[in-house]
Formats: sequence, C-alpha cells, structure tokens
Amino acid sequence: MQDYIKNFLGKVEDSIENLPTQEIAKAFNILQATYERDGRIYVFGNGGSLALATHWVSDFNKTVFSRHLDKEVKRFQAIRIPTTESELTAWANDVGYNMVFKGPLQNYLQENDAIIAISSSGNSPNVIKAVEFAMEKHVSIIGLSGFDGGRLNELSDAKIYIPTEKGQYEVVEGVHAVILHLMVKYFKDYFDHVMERKEKRS
Amino acid sequence: MILVRAPLRISFVGGGTDLPDFYHKYTGRVISTTIDKFVYLVINHTPLINKISARYAISETVDHPEEIKHTRIKAALIDLGIKGNIEIGSFANLPAKTGLGSSSSYSVALLEGLNTYLGKNLNKKSLAEAASRLEIELLKEPIGKQDQYAAAFGGFNIFQFNQDDSVDIKSILLDYKKKLLLEDHILLFFTGITRMASSVLSDQKTKIEKNFETYKKMSDSVFEFNEKLLAGDIKGMGKMLHEGWEMKKSLSSNISNSIIDTLYDVGMDAGAMGGKVLGAGGGGCIMFLADPQKHDKIRKAMNDSFRKNNLNENKEIPIKFTQSGAGVLLNDNRDKNGF
Repeated sequence: MQDYIKNFLGKVEDSIENLPTQEIAKAFNILQATYERDGRIYVFGNGGSLALATHWVSDFNKTVFSRHLDKEVKRFQAIRIPTTESELTAWANDVGYNMVFKGPLQNYLQENDAIIAISSSGNSPNVIKAVEFAMEKHVSIIGLSGFDGGRLNELSDAKIYIPTEKGQYEVVEGVHAVILHLMVKYFKDYFDHVMERKEKRS
Repeated sequence: MILVRAPLRISFVGGGTDLPDFYHKYTGRVISTTIDKFVYLVINHTPLINKISARYAISETVDHPEEIKHTRIKAALIDLGIKGNIEIGSFANLPAKTGLGSSSSYSVALLEGLNTYLGKNLNKKSLAEAASRLEIELLKEPIGKQDQYAAAFGGFNIFQFNQDDSVDIKSILLDYKKKLLLEDHILLFFTGITRMASSVLSDQKTKIEKNFETYKKMSDSVFEFNEKLLAGDIKGMGKMLHEGWEMKKSLSSNISNSIIDTLYDVGMDAGAMGGKVLGAGGGGCIMFLADPQKHDKIRKAMNDSFRKNNLNENKEIPIKFTQSGAGVLLNDNRDKNGF
C-alpha cells in the first residue's frame, strides 16, 4: 500500500518541481492590474474545477484581507460563474452545456475584467467557448490546465499548465489547488505588507 | 459616454534609444514603469448636434475635423473618419510637459477612446502602434515609441526596438517586496520648468551619428539595470541612473542647463544615491533614488534651491508604481439594442 502512495506522491512532486513559475508570476500581474482598475475576476471550470473556483473566490475576496476586515479598503471582486445552480441548469437545460460559462460571461464581462479558466484537459468545450469570448474582448486570460495543456493553454495569457499523463485528474486538480492558494497567499502577504508600511509611516 | 485613462511613466535607463535614427542601426531598449498618475479622456456621442467639440485648456466647437486646433484630436478624427456628433474632453492628474510621457499617454487614451466609440477593440500592441503612428507618422513629431508602449501595456517592462521597426515587450516579473522597496527610495520633484520634448529631441536627433557609441552603451545598460532591479539592489540602480544621466547629458546641449545641473547637484549632495531628469530633458521632473531616512534632508535642500532659482511652480510628486495599462473605465455606448 505504501508503494502505491509513494508512487502517487512522486507524480505530484514531479509536477510541483516543474511548475511554470514565470507564468504564475504573470498571473499575479494580471490580478494586480485588474484590481487597480476596479475590474472583476470571473473564474470557472467543470466538476472538481468548479469546486476549486468556488473555494478560491471565498479565499480571494475575504482571506486576502482577513487581518484588515474592519478597514474600509478596496478589495478584490472575484466571482465564480455561473453564480447559482439555477443559472447553471437553466443554461444547460434550455440552451446547452456549451453555454453554461459563456452565457453568464456575456452578461457581465467588460474591458477591465480578467478571467481564470480551469480545465484539467484544457479542452472542455464549454470552458473554451467562454475563453474564446474573453479573447474577442481582449480581456486577460489566466488558464489552469493539465495533461497536454489543450486549447486552453494555447489561448491563455498566463499559461499555468501542469504536464501529466492524460487522465491524471487527481494530480492536476491537487496542484491547481496549491497554485490557487499561492495566489491567495501572495496577495495576502502583499496587502499585509502595504498596511504595515502605512501604519509605520503614520 | 466613454471614459478612458492611460497612465504616465517613469523611465529608468535607455531613453533616447527608441529614436528610429538609432534603432534602425542598433537595437534600442528602454526599461520603465507606469505610475499612479493618469490622463483621462471623455468621449460623448451627441446625436442631435452635428459638431465636433474639444474641451481641454480651451474649448473648441467646429463643423469639420479639419478646423480643430488640437493637433492630436484633428489628426485622429480625420484618420478614423469621424466627421461629427462628438465631444472630447480631457483631464489629467498632472500638468503637461513634466517629462512623464503625458503627451503619448494622451494619444494612447485618445485612440483607445475613439476606437471604443467606433465599436472596435484594440489589443495593447495595436493600441501602442496606433498611438505611435499618430504622433510619428501623421504628426511628424521627432519622438520615439517608448511612451506609447509604456502607457498601453502598463507595469515594469523592457521595450526592445528592433531594426525592422518591430517592438518586443518583456514584462519584468517583480515581486511586491522589491517593488515597494524601490518605491520607498524614490523622490520625484517637478521643477516647474516645462518644455516641449520635440524641441529637445530635434537637436538630439541630428547628433545621433556622432554619439552612436554612447547610445549603444545606454541601450545595453538596460540588461544590467534589469538585473539590479530583480536583485533589489537600490544602490546599484542609483549608480546606474547617475551614469545614465551623465551619458544622456552628453547627447545634446539642450538636455540640461545650469539650473537643472544645480538642482541635480543639490539632491546628490544632500545624500541621493543617483538620479536623473525624466523625459527628453531641458526641464520637467527630477527623480532621485535615496535612502528613505535621507528624504527629508533632500526635500529641504531641494526646496531651498527651488526658492533661490525662483522656481515657484515646483512640487514634490508622490508616486506609486502601477501594473495596469490604458483602459476603458466606463462605456455606456456598448449596445444600442438594449432597453
């Protein structure tokens, strides 16, 4: 049994060792730029990736500022789409699964915004459809993918791609969760640093 | 109504190597960052008034774009085929001609706004190129392209100007600690002396051949500055700014003058590690890198010197670095088919 466990963890270790740090840094810059111009960050994916998106939104909107929640400061505006199960099933049932992300995005997306698309295969048709829509609008795209990166990796501005064998969802989604937490941690430390600096000066 | 903004910039080293007479023979490079000071532009569609209005320091209302006095608005409207029913107003956090690239930020904002008005959406590179084309090709200004690219892209970047006229953009991935550390060391003073970049650059341009080796050094120094930036080596950056300013001064007698030299020396004597005059030269802003604990001493020395030289318009400009380039802040022209 331990061999089985070690084998799996070895795969996770390999992918963490080869993380595209430069692309993650680019993603930080995209998030920073979106914050400065009061833009919104729309995040989405299917199944486990949608759960990652939901988890990230709560961390990013609240945890980043958790030491300063009593202060009136500008916070991030990250939004998971679709925002409700009703909207998700309405698009899926009435129009088709291909539209569950692009549909809501069409309602919201403006020039100042950014999107984070999460797809282990990088080829989920509904994710790609929404990403192509964002591309037309010249909105910055952060893409989290796995396997061979797929279309998502080609289309993204920040290409956060975890190379694995096809079908290694557990590894890809696990590492995606680490990277999404890294984004939260970076901006939390950044914001704490800015506030500390401000207090020192006054 | 459409509201757009484009940031101003500070360039560290390499300024001047973005002039075509140089980069057609040797690759030019500039390293710069955008700051939290902006040019804002409002564009309003006036369906019932078939006129063109431009509101800036003055207010103009005319029947045809050819009659507009504002050279950039005139050239852009004619080029884009906009003939009437439009009002254009501009606002800025700082006055013009400070050496922070504001005239190109204006062009970038103008083209972003007018293209949005026409329902077109330009990417950053097309926007930078459109603004460069407006200023250099249509208005024949003797300037380079670094400011248009800086305003369109935003953040810390190295812009590389290739011999075939293409531009490569390398975004510098700098973490918050190093960014804020550098920010804490910067002191920026507007001297109160304004000048047109083109008047300085015209003279500089005629001497490129003669100063070719200096330009090459300035372009190559961008790599070293980038290394120091990534390492958070403030002292090293200060030294390089100083050397860069010395090199730049040698390119044309118009870049500095006795007052600018005096002001610069005052800052250095009061403890700055290095500095430079921003923009083409001849006036505008002076930037210093200095230990934060020495800022008050430098401020006092600079204020004394400004007073002695009767530069009553001088101001210290507090700045923050920014990551976002030009963008549309508001667009209620989006869709004519709504309710």
